[in-house]
Amino acid sequence: MNTICLHVNGVSHRVAVEPRRLLADVLRQDLALSGVHIGCAHGACGCCTVQIDGAPQLSCLTFAVQCDGAEIETVEGLGGHDAGHPLQKAFMAEHALQCGYCTPGFLMALAPFVEQAIEQGRIPEADEIREAMSGNICRCTGYHGIVAAVRRAIHDGIQGDSP
Amino acid sequence: MRSAPFEYHRAESLDQAVDLLATLGEDARPLAGGYSLVPMMNLRLARPEHLVDINPLGLDHIVRDGAVVRLGGLVRHSRYAVDTTLRKTFPLFAEASSHIAHPVIRRRGTLGGSLAHADPTAELALLAVLYDGVIHVSSARGRRSIPAGEFFKSAFTTALQAGELVAELEVPVPATGSGHAFFEFSERKGDFAIIAVAALIRAAKGRIAEARIACAGALSAPIRDANVEVALVGQSLETPGALEAGHMFAAAHDPMSDIRATSHYRRHLIAELVRRAVEKACAGAGGAA
Amino acid sequence: MSRTLERPKSIGARVHRLEDPRFLSGRARYIDDIRRPRMLHLAIARSQEAHARIGEIDVESALALGDDIRVFTGADTVGLAVTANAEYPEVQFSQQPLLAQGRVRFVGEPVAAVLADDPYRAEDAAGLVFIDYENLTVLPGIAVARAEGAPTLFDGWRNNLFVERQMKGGDLAAARSAAVHTVRRTYRTHRQAGVPLECRGVVAEYDPADETLTVWSSTQIPHLLRTYISEELEWPETRLRVVAPDVGGGFGVKGQIFVEEVLVAWLALQTGRAVKWIEDRREHLIASIHAREHEHTLEAYLDGDGRLLGLQADISVDCGAYSTWPFTAASDPGMVAKVLPGPYDFGAYEATFRGVATNKCPVGTYRGVGRPSAVFSQERLMDDIAAELGLDPVDFRLRNIIRRFPYKNVLGFTYDEGSYAESLEKTRAFLAPDIAEARRTRSSDEVRVGVGFACFVEQTAHGTPDFTRRRVPIETGYESARVEMMPDGSVLVEIGLQNHGQGHETTLAQVAADALGVTPQEVRVRHGDTLTTPYSVGTWGSRGGALGGGAVHRAATEVAGKLRAIAAHLLQAEGQEIVLGAGYAALAEDPDRHIEIAHLARAAHRNLERLPEGMGPGLAALAGCDGPADGTYSNAVHAAVVEIDMNSGKLTLRRFVVVEDCGVIINPMIVDGQVRGGVVQGIGSALFEQFVYSEDCQPLTTNFADYLLPAAPEIPDIEVHHIETPTPLTPLGAKGLGEGGAIGPAAAIANAVSNALGVSVAETPLNANAIWTLIQSATSRSETGE
Repeated sequence: MNTICLHVNGVSHRVAVEPRRLLADVLRQDLALSGVHIGCAHGACGCCTVQIDGAPQLSCLTFAVQCDGAEIETVEGLGGHDAGHPLQKAFMAEHALQCGYCTPGFLMALAPFVEQAIEQGRIPEADEIREAMSGNICRCTGYHGIVAAVRRAIHDGIQGDSP
Repeated sequence: MRSAPFEYHRAESLDQAVDLLATLGEDARPLAGGYSLVPMMNLRLARPEHLVDINPLGLDHIVRDGAVVRLGGLVRHSRYAVDTTLRKTFPLFAEASSHIAHPVIRRRGTLGGSLAHADPTAELALLAVLYDGVIHVSSARGRRSIPAGEFFKSAFTTALQAGELVAELEVPVPATGSGHAFFEFSERKGDFAIIAVAALIRAAKGRIAEARIACAGALSAPIRDANVEVALVGQSLETPGALEAGHMFAAAHDPMSDIRATSHYRRHLIAELVRRAVEKACAGAGGAA
Repeated sequence: MSRTLERPKSIGARVHRLEDPRFLSGRARYIDDIRRPRMLHLAIARSQEAHARIGEIDVESALALGDDIRVFTGADTVGLAVTANAEYPEVQFSQQPLLAQGRVRFVGEPVAAVLADDPYRAEDAAGLVFIDYENLTVLPGIAVARAEGAPTLFDGWRNNLFVERQMKGGDLAAARSAAVHTVRRTYRTHRQAGVPLECRGVVAEYDPADETLTVWSSTQIPHLLRTYISEELEWPETRLRVVAPDVGGGFGVKGQIFVEEVLVAWLALQTGRAVKWIEDRREHLIASIHAREHEHTLEAYLDGDGRLLGLQADISVDCGAYSTWPFTAASDPGMVAKVLPGPYDFGAYEATFRGVATNKCPVGTYRGVGRPSAVFSQERLMDDIAAELGLDPVDFRLRNIIRRFPYKNVLGFTYDEGSYAESLEKTRAFLAPDIAEARRTRSSDEVRVGVGFACFVEQTAHGTPDFTRRRVPIETGYESARVEMMPDGSVLVEIGLQNHGQGHETTLAQVAADALGVTPQEVRVRHGDTLTTPYSVGTWGSRGGALGGGAVHRAATEVAGKLRAIAAHLLQAEGQEIVLGAGYAALAEDPDRHIEIAHLARAAHRNLERLPEGMGPGLAALAGCDGPADGTYSNAVHAAVVEIDMNSGKLTLRRFVVVEDCGVIINPMIVDGQVRGGVVQGIGSALFEQFVYSEDCQPLTTNFADYLLPAAPEIPDIEVHHIETPTPLTPLGAKGLGEGGAIGPAAAIANAVSNALGVSVAETPLNANAIWTLIQSATSRSETGE
C-alpha cells in the first residue's frame, strides 16, 4: 500500500492505495466523486477525462500512485453544484447531453480548448472543433449539440457575455 | 477490467531509472505516458510485476546538434506540431503525429514509449526508419546505439534488451530543399493505420538524387525497399514514375490480412500511397534544381 | 397531409432540460454510484469456448486467495433461468440458465459467480476459476446451422430454428403471374452490438428490517424486472423493489432481462449481504446483446408501368445462442416480415421468417430492432428495381407511395395519416445540387459523388392488441401516470417509464404544465422506482412521448378539472368556464376575477370546508393510455451524400438530410436530439461498427480499438426538417420517434454508394475494404462495357 496526497478540486486528501488502483476508481470510491465515469477502461472513449496539473488526461489509464502531490480537477470542480461554468451553461442551452454519461469527460476535455479560443479571440472552424473532441465518444447526441455548445461558449466568452 | 497487482517505483533521474530496471529484472517495465501499456495491463494482456515511473526524468529535449536533431525519449507527441526546430527540418513529424489517436492521447504519449512499444503501424517508427534515425538506449550497462532499420524486429518486438530504456532518437537532418511526404489510410481519423507511407526525395538539377520510401502496416514492422529507391534515382522530378514505383513496392511484399483489410486491399493501398507520396515529395523537392 | 397547428403554451417549446444540472455537475447517480454497507463485489467467470460440455470447475485457486472469496456455479442455481418463449407451435422452447448447466453455447456465457470484498480481488479470483471443456461442433452461422444433419443447439430440437413462421396477405400467386417485371435480390446486414456508453450493472440487497429485497439495475424496464425476479425467485412482488437509477444510455440494449440481473438478486438472498456487479466493456461487447445480423431474399412483382403488384420475402436472422426476454428470438425476424411492405401501395405479400440458433451472443432489441435491416433491404430493392427498369429512383418511389389515409396495408395494419409523398419530394428538393454533382462525376476515376434516399414508415406506440398478437412475454402496450398537486401548488408526476436520455423529466413536465396552467419548472417528474411509480412495461418502442405523454395529459387533465371546479365554487361562478394559466384560475369571460392555483391546492388538502358540497379532499389522479391497436405510424426520408475516392476506397459522408414526421412535437429540441443521435448510430451501423467472430465463434472485436464507434470528425452536420401531421389516435396527437433516426442511414448510404459506383450494394458494412471491393467490380464492369 502506498500513501499519497491528492489535491482534488482544491481540497487535499491523504489516501492509502494499492499501486494498481486506477485514479478513476480512487476518485470515485475513496473521494465519492460520482462525476468521474468509466466507459471502457482502455482509453478509447474519453468518459474518464479529468484534469491533472492543468491538462486533460484519462483517469482510467492513470494509476493513483502516479499522482502523488498532483492537482486534480473533476467536473465537480468546474462549475459547482449548479453547473455554472460557461461551457456547462452552453451545453444546457444547446441540448448537448442526453443520458449524461459522456458529459463530464467532454467538459473536462473541451474546457481548456474553449478557454484558449476565447484568449485567441477566434471561433474555430467546425472540423477543428470536431477534432478537439475526437477522443470523446457520445452515443446519444450525434455530437451536433456539443459542437454548437462549444461554438456558443467561445462566442459568448469573446463577447464577454455568459449564455 | 483492472490490472493484476504490481509494485510501483518512481525514478527521479536516468541513472536511477536504469538501476531500478536492472535490479528489478525482467518483470519490470518503464512507465512513461502509459497510454499503450496501461490498456494492456487493464486487459490483463501485460502483467509486469514492477512499474518504474520515468515521467520525472525530463528527457524531453528537441535540439539541433550540427548535422542531426536529437529528440529525447520523453518528448510528447503534441510537441511536434509546435516545435519550430523540428517543423523546419522534419515537417513530417508534425503531420504524421496528427494521425496518432486524438489530442488527449497526444499530450501524454511519448516518443520513447512509441518506439519501444513497436506497434507495426506506428507513425513515429515509420519516420525513424525513413530518416535513417539512430536510437540511443541506456541501461545500467551504459549506452548503446541501434540504427532504426535494425531496431524494429517484429510486431511489438524490438532490439531492446532487458533493462534498456529509449533515451534519445537522433535523426540526420535532410539536405535543404528535400521533399517530404506522408500519407496514412485508416478507417477513422486517428485509428491505427491500415497502411502509412512516408517519402523523402533529394533532388539535383531537376532529377532525383536520392529517394527513401518507407511503409508501415504492410508487415510486422516498418519497411523500406532498396530496389524501389534505387529505381527512382535519376528520374525527373516532373515524371518520376510514381505509378511504377508504387506497383513495384506493392508487388515486392506480401502484406498481412486482418479484420480491417485483406492482404489484397493492403497491397493496393501500398501502391496508391507510394504513388501519392513520391509525387508529393518530388513536387516539394522541385525548388532545388 | 400535414396541417399547421395552434400551439399550446409549453408543448412545442424548446424548453431547456430540467434534469441537465445534475448531469452537468457530476451529481447524477448511476448504478456504480450505488454503494451499500458491507457490499460484496461479483465477477463472473465466463465461457471461453463457443460450444462445449462443461466438466469440472476448479475453484480451489480462486478460494485460496482469501476468506472473503465465495464461488457459485450452475450446481447451485439449478432450475433458475431466463426463459423467453412465444406461445406459437412453430416456436421451439429454450431458456438461458443463470449459470451454465453443464453446457455452454457462446463465448462469454456465465459459468461461475465469484464474490469478493472488492472488485479488483473479485476479478483476480474469477481469473483463477478453471473450467474443463469438452468441445462440441460449433454452429458459426446461418448456413451451417441450417444445413442438413447439423447438430442441434438444444436437446430435443428438431432443427436449429428458434422459430419459423409466415405472414401473408392478398394473392401472391396472382401477382406473380400478372407480373411484367420480376426482380429478385438478396441483401445482408451484419452483426453489431448496441453499446450504450455506460455498461450494465446491478446491485441487490435484502433488508431484514422490512423483509424487502431491493434491486438497482441500469435497466429500461424496472417493473418488468420486478415481476420477472418475483416469479423466478418466488419472492412476493410487494416485498421487492426495483430501482433504475440514472442510466447512461439504453437504446434497447437495457430493455432485456439478463441472467446477471436475476443472479445478483439471488446472490443477495444467498449471502445475506448487498451484492454489486458492474459489467466491463469486454463483457458488454461479447455477452450483453447483439443485433442486425440478417439475410433477406426478396422477389418483387411489377406491372408494365412500374407499379408494384406484390412482394415475396424470405427472412433469416442469426439470433445467437439464446432467446432474449421479453421480445424473444422471434422479434427481429418477425418484425422484418411485418414492416417490409413499408410506405408502398401493393396488394399481395408473403413472408417467411425464421430465427436461427448459432453459437454467438444472443440477439436482442437495439434501436430500430428489425427495422434498420428491413428498410435496408426494402430501399435497396426499390433502387435496384428502378435501375433495372431505367427509372429515376425517387420517381419510382413516388409512383408507388401511399397517398390516401387511413390506409390498410396488405397485412391488415392501418396506417394513420402521414406525409410520405410530401417528405420525399421535399427531400429531393433539398438534395438537388448534390444530385447534379453526382451526375457530373458519374464516370470519374478520381472522386465520385453519390446521392441515396431511404423512405420508410415506423410503427410506434404499439397498443396492447399488437403485443397480444405476438404471444410473447410482453403482453401489453399501455402506460400510466399519477399526477398530484401538492398543497403549495407544485406538481408531482410519477410514471413507470424509465428515462435514460430522452428528456422525460422535461417533456412530461411540459405536458402536465400545459394541462394545469403552471410552468414546467414547477413540475417534478419521478420515474424508475417501482415503489413510487405505477406499473409500466418501460421505455422502448418509441412510446415515451406518445403514450407517456398521453397518460400524463389525461391524469393532469383530471386534476385540472377538479381545480376548475374548486375555482368556480370559490369565485362563486358555478357553471362558468374557468381557464388555468400562468399560475392562476380565471373566469374565461372576466379574467379580472381570478384566484391563485396554489390557493386552490391548499384548499383541496388543508381547508376542506371551502370545497364544493360533496367534493372529496386531495388533488391526484391516476390515468392510463394504451397505444392504438395498430400503433401510430411516423414517416421519414433519409438522404445521404457520399464522396468516394476511387483510388483508395475512402468514403466521406458529406451530407445527411432527414425530413421526418412524428406528429405533434412536444419539445423540438429533444426531437432533434433523438433524430440526430439515432442517425449517428445508423451511420455507425453502415460504416464502422462490425462485430466479428472467427470461424469457431471466438469474438475478435472485444474492445473499442477493434469495434469502431462513430466519432465527431467522421460525422457531417445532420440537417433535420420536420413535418407535423397530428394523429387522432393519441391524446396529444404525438407519434413515436425515438428510434427513427437509426432506421434509415444504412439504406440511404448504401443507395448513395450504389449511385456513385453504378453497382448494386447488397450488404453492410461499407467500410474501406468493402468500398474498394465495390470499386473493383464497378471499374471492371465499365471496362467490359457493361
